[in-house]
Amino acid sequence: MIPVFLGVSILTFTISNAAGDPLAILRQGLKSVSPQVIASLRAYYHLDQPLYVRYFYWLWDILHLNLGVSASGTPVADKIGPWVFTTLELQIPALLLAVLIGIPLGVYSARHPYSKGDVAVTGFALFGYSMPTFWLGLMMIIIFSLYLGWLPSAGAAGITRLWWGSELGDRLAHLLMPLLVLTYVQLATFVRLIRGNMLQTLRDDYVLAARACGLSERTVVYKHALRNAITPIVTIVGLSFGSSLAGAPGLETTFSWPGLGYQFVVATYSLDIPMIVGITVVITVMLMVANLITDLVYGMIDPRIRLG
Amino acid sequence: MENKGPENILNVDQERLEKRREANQWAVAWRRFKRNKAGLAGLFIVLFFVFIAITSPWLSPYPQRSYQTLYEGEAGQPPSLKHPFGTSRSGLDIYSEVLHGTLGDLYVGVGATIIAVLIGLAVGSIAGYSRGRLSDILLMISQIFYTIPLLPLILLAARIFLILVAQGFGLTLILILLGVFGWPTIAFIVRGEILRVRELEYIQASRALGAGRGRIILRHVIPNILTPIIVTATLMIAGNILTEVVISYLGFGDVNTSTWGLTIQEGYTYIRTEWWTTVFPGLATLFAVLGFNLLGDGLSDAINPRLRD
Repeated sequence: MIPVFLGVSILTFTISNAAGDPLAILRQGLKSVSPQVIASLRAYYHLDQPLYVRYFYWLWDILHLNLGVSASGTPVADKIGPWVFTTLELQIPALLLAVLIGIPLGVYSARHPYSKGDVAVTGFALFGYSMPTFWLGLMMIIIFSLYLGWLPSAGAAGITRLWWGSELGDRLAHLLMPLLVLTYVQLATFVRLIRGNMLQTLRDDYVLAARACGLSERTVVYKHALRNAITPIVTIVGLSFGSSLAGAPGLETTFSWPGLGYQFVVATYSLDIPMIVGITVVITVMLMVANLITDLVYGMIDPRIRLG
Repeated sequence: MENKGPENILNVDQERLEKRREANQWAVAWRRFKRNKAGLAGLFIVLFFVFIAITSPWLSPYPQRSYQTLYEGEAGQPPSLKHPFGTSRSGLDIYSEVLHGTLGDLYVGVGATIIAVLIGLAVGSIAGYSRGRLSDILLMISQIFYTIPLLPLILLAARIFLILVAQGFGLTLILILLGVFGWPTIAFIVRGEILRVRELEYIQASRALGAGRGRIILRHVIPNILTPIIVTATLMIAGNILTEVVISYLGFGDVNTSTWGLTIQEGYTYIRTEWWTTVFPGLATLFAVLGFNLLGDGLSDAINPRLRD
């Protein structure tokens, strides 16, 4: 985990500094800044030092939970906090819904392979993982916001008026479309994997043995087969949380959802380097926490892994 | 029919046997693949898009990124006979843009995958075939590249390099970035396969015959682990196309070359008045990616028939 963290931070740090002198870039907009201010900024950000020295300064700061000050003058950490919450508000419900709907669908598909229902489910999933997430979002905006006018198309909360009467209803109305899109796309991956795993597991001898013992079909499938088929899924859920977090820029920008992804796009556009590095590091830490949770859950589900 | 005499019957049989032997694993896989309707559909979709990509310079009525319909007074029109996919308010002919975009997106999708496969093969085979520290270090690097938040880093790199450092590289830079960040999946597969293959008898035999490490890897190991790599690479093309579309949709791609994402970005700007600018390039993406996914799944079924009846 620590090498991953160091690797990501070094990569981000190097790439974002490859553009050249950050102050020169900042100054492109403001030509009138006096040389004294430039000099003091240079000293403040340690820009007079070589890149690797600056990296250690930055690492030292981050170990003290100090993410630095963004180009707009506010501390990065203060700004990122609410964005993390907004991103999770979208990601976690989508993940839970996708797992809850995906598992029964995948199991159904595997129990009736090549039936009409299976073809329908597989096709539904296939379209889900072949579609650009943000494009599905755009389609929903066109239909539900622009033509039908049922749902808001942008933001996480109303500015001019409240949707559906109350504060809570308003948040739900804003959440609904991005949530549906994200759920569908993640669901597609899960259905595909669970179906594949279940197909293999249902052919194992121990399933035959369980059937021969006269256990009910429900017990055989859900208690015995699913438990084995689901262990790889746990890894995938963790991974797909990661990739959906990393893929958030597209979807969040489409819905102007003020989360980490959207703000990352904004920061990258304006080359706000402390902000870019800050957001990348926060996303990376979230990914690593997700991986850790995955490992722990894996240990709980898979009886072969017993910790200490 | 010269071999008529009874003394030649044996020969005929042997010829037939030879032919059988020629029906190697590829032919067997192809025979199995042919029976898979979804896989075949995927193959045809992919071939269709490849055809479009190659012929797009001649098929499309307007050059790429041309706002000419604006001067013809036909900007912002819904689909019609003259403009099958409509025109954007800024003057793009969407039909031409989608055709040109096919070339751009397939170029990035396939090219990035080739780079990723080459790096993945190199890293994976070294990590799989060597023991000790080198293997550990390579694994750790792969792990780092596998865990990083891919899209943000690519967006950042595209923004920095495309605009400030390497102007004029255009789509090729996106291609390289996608390839350079995308190889760990291949590396893991290669390493796993090599660990499986390297203790098999025929490898030991060639080692006993005095073959060097490089020769064993290139001539004996890699041909035998090619099939899972081809499957993964096909699916990877699909993923790379999707990522490229996101990159150019967000405005971090090459603004001088037509891509589907760039057209969708245009559509996003005018989304209130024209649906066609958003819908058609998105549909093109959807079907191209669908094609590669179906093809990949079909290949995987054909090569690894465990799940088939």
